[in-house]
Amino acid sequence: MSWIDGVVRRLTQAPRPAERDVVAAVRRLPEMAASWRNDLPASIVVFLVALPLCLGIALASGAPLFAGVIAGVVGGVLVGSLSGSHLMVSGPAAGLTAIVVAAIASLGSFQAFLAAVVIGGAVQLVLAVMRAGVLGYYFPSSVIKGMLAAIGLILVLKQIPHAVGYDVDFEGDETFLQANAENTFTAVLHALQRLEPGAVLISLVGLALLFVWDKTPLKNVRLLPAQLTVVLLGVALDIACAAAQPAWKLDASHLVTLPIPAQLADYADYFAFPDWSALSRGDTWRVGVTLGVVASLESLLSLEATDRLDPYKREAPANRELFAQGAGNIVSGLIGGLPVTGVIVRSAANVDAGARTKLSAILHGLLLAAAVVSIPALLNHIPLASLAAILIFTGFKLAHPKIWSSMWRQGSSQFLPFALTIVAILLTDLLVGIGIGLALGLLFILFEHSRQPCYEIVSPKGAVLTRVRLNEQVSFLSKATLAKLFERLEPGSRIELDGSQCRHVHHDVLELISDFRETALLRKIDLRLVGLDLPGATHH
Amino acid sequence: MENLKRLFDNNRKIVEEVTSADPDFFKRRAGKQEPHFLFIGCADSRVPIETLTGVSPGEMFVHRNIANQVVSADLNLLSVLQYAIEVLDVKHVIVCGHYQCGGVKAAMGTESYGLVDYWLAGVRDTVRRHASELEASPGEDERFKRVVDLNVLRQVYNLARTPVVQNAWKRGRRPLLHGLVYDIHDGFLKSIALEVDGPDKVRELFEARRRSIGD
Repeated sequence: MSWIDGVVRRLTQAPRPAERDVVAAVRRLPEMAASWRNDLPASIVVFLVALPLCLGIALASGAPLFAGVIAGVVGGVLVGSLSGSHLMVSGPAAGLTAIVVAAIASLGSFQAFLAAVVIGGAVQLVLAVMRAGVLGYYFPSSVIKGMLAAIGLILVLKQIPHAVGYDVDFEGDETFLQANAENTFTAVLHALQRLEPGAVLISLVGLALLFVWDKTPLKNVRLLPAQLTVVLLGVALDIACAAAQPAWKLDASHLVTLPIPAQLADYADYFAFPDWSALSRGDTWRVGVTLGVVASLESLLSLEATDRLDPYKREAPANRELFAQGAGNIVSGLIGGLPVTGVIVRSAANVDAGARTKLSAILHGLLLAAAVVSIPALLNHIPLASLAAILIFTGFKLAHPKIWSSMWRQGSSQFLPFALTIVAILLTDLLVGIGIGLALGLLFILFEHSRQPCYEIVSPKGAVLTRVRLNEQVSFLSKATLAKLFERLEPGSRIELDGSQCRHVHHDVLELISDFRETALLRKIDLRLVGLDLPGATHH
Repeated sequence: MENLKRLFDNNRKIVEEVTSADPDFFKRRAGKQEPHFLFIGCADSRVPIETLTGVSPGEMFVHRNIANQVVSADLNLLSVLQYAIEVLDVKHVIVCGHYQCGGVKAAMGTESYGLVDYWLAGVRDTVRRHASELEASPGEDERFKRVVDLNVLRQVYNLARTPVVQNAWKRGRRPLLHGLVYDIHDGFLKSIALEVDGPDKVRELFEARRRSIGD
């Protein structure tokens, strides 16, 4: 029966690597299947939120409306598939609108701009190859949290007008000074003077539903997330109003407005293609590189932010993200879409709707493509007020008071960059604000570092010989601390500077010590150096 | 009590003399001490090292025990040594023996004196280690003197092997070790080993000595 032994041995031995992959994939099947039940409903929610955002951002960019939808589809399907992130959603970004408007104007045509988008994508691929994604690890946590809270506040503030039926600004705006000469706060004030009763009813019902949902047994119905219910309810309420109280019926300006072509073949007209002759102009390249760099930064920020929102705390690889975004922009540019980046609002909505895997982001892209073509008339019934309710809820969770108090408890070194980032983003826009926040955050880190002691005085107080042991790392930032120590020494004192524990001493610090060795003689300070390899005297 | 009274009287007299010449003499010394020397000598009353060397208060840190021993387990000596080297940053550590040393004498004989017999085990080792050299010496007095010299050399060697001194040498700080003998007959200090600044130096001294006596 030796053949049985052989079979048993083969069955019990560890499978070869290839087999192991298959085994792992098969083992994960039930898990994937289980995530379907979370990801499908979540993708519908993200799709519903994304639709007006795609249209709104295209409108604000001065591009064809359909360019926003194309970017949404590419961001969902292509970037979603290639990305290493589980929950981040990509698509057209509000943060890029200013650049896009200016670029289309300066390049003369949308087709020329598309060529720049393709260049931008190529730049991102290069950045990925150069491993520029590591930059993402240097965004201070306090600044990222500040950015999330700021986006939350912006969402709430910017969506209040939409919630009450004051749909003047485009959906997805994140800039303080709006194109229509209002700012975030005056828009809210104006909106509150022009309440649209139908919209107010829909958004209030929606918000109430969202806030109580998790406290009711309804939360167990996984296939029907709260956000989806809110949209369905909004449509139903609007239809009910039309029958019962015609004055409250929302007109088209307060509903999702998708262009509806007369026939299916007309969709072909919505695709635009790059004008390659633009490549001969330096401007095109300049715009392309700008887009590539800015989109990469925004994507890395979104990636970092989404990792923080992920309930499973999964970390996405940054360089793979740059690669995915680059591929996305090349394709989006080639078929007439706006540039894409990772986007936080849609990602946050995705997390809130209970998504678990990237399936949700991919499905949202497919839904965008399918729904825009098959049921545009139906989608145009969705009140913007319902979507405003969903986004206000998401915004509230992003800027939740608990986050503020937890940041406050972590001390001023965390709270100040956090709060200043929020203020900066609220008063400018996402990119400028985060730039200010990052600068401040890095300043705080530099300040904290320069206050870190770089040495330890190991001799007891009052000892004749002051023995100073340098720490393992003596960075450039320690220079000031050390210089201060040297200044404090009195004439006639004796000091031993022990660098034998050091792994790294910054060159400038060595120069400082070397210079001190000279002045010590003049100041009658007895300096002894241990284990320090000093450069030669600098001034000979 | 008469003897003790004399101490107080003398003390008063000396303070008066000193302060009349230099009113701030004691006040100045109340601050930080920065002695240059650590002196490790014998407890013997006939070796008034400060008077013999003319150092003033604040210049010499002193540790004395019977037969000026450096024993590696002696917490007292090690504390003094570490404090002197690492905190006071002394430049010189002196081990000083003297002729007619009662401790050395006891270690050379078989008489028992109590606890001190344990303390003197090191000197007894020295006597045994150098038995051939000592037997060759011309007389009893000469033999005694040689043991005193050898004892000092041995203690300098012990000192050089303490972690405190080793560590200081490794870090480039240099307490120089010196071995001296005080000749109680004429009052002069004689050098046995000078400026020892590394472990090899002591070994060399032993070798040199062995060669010089043809051992």
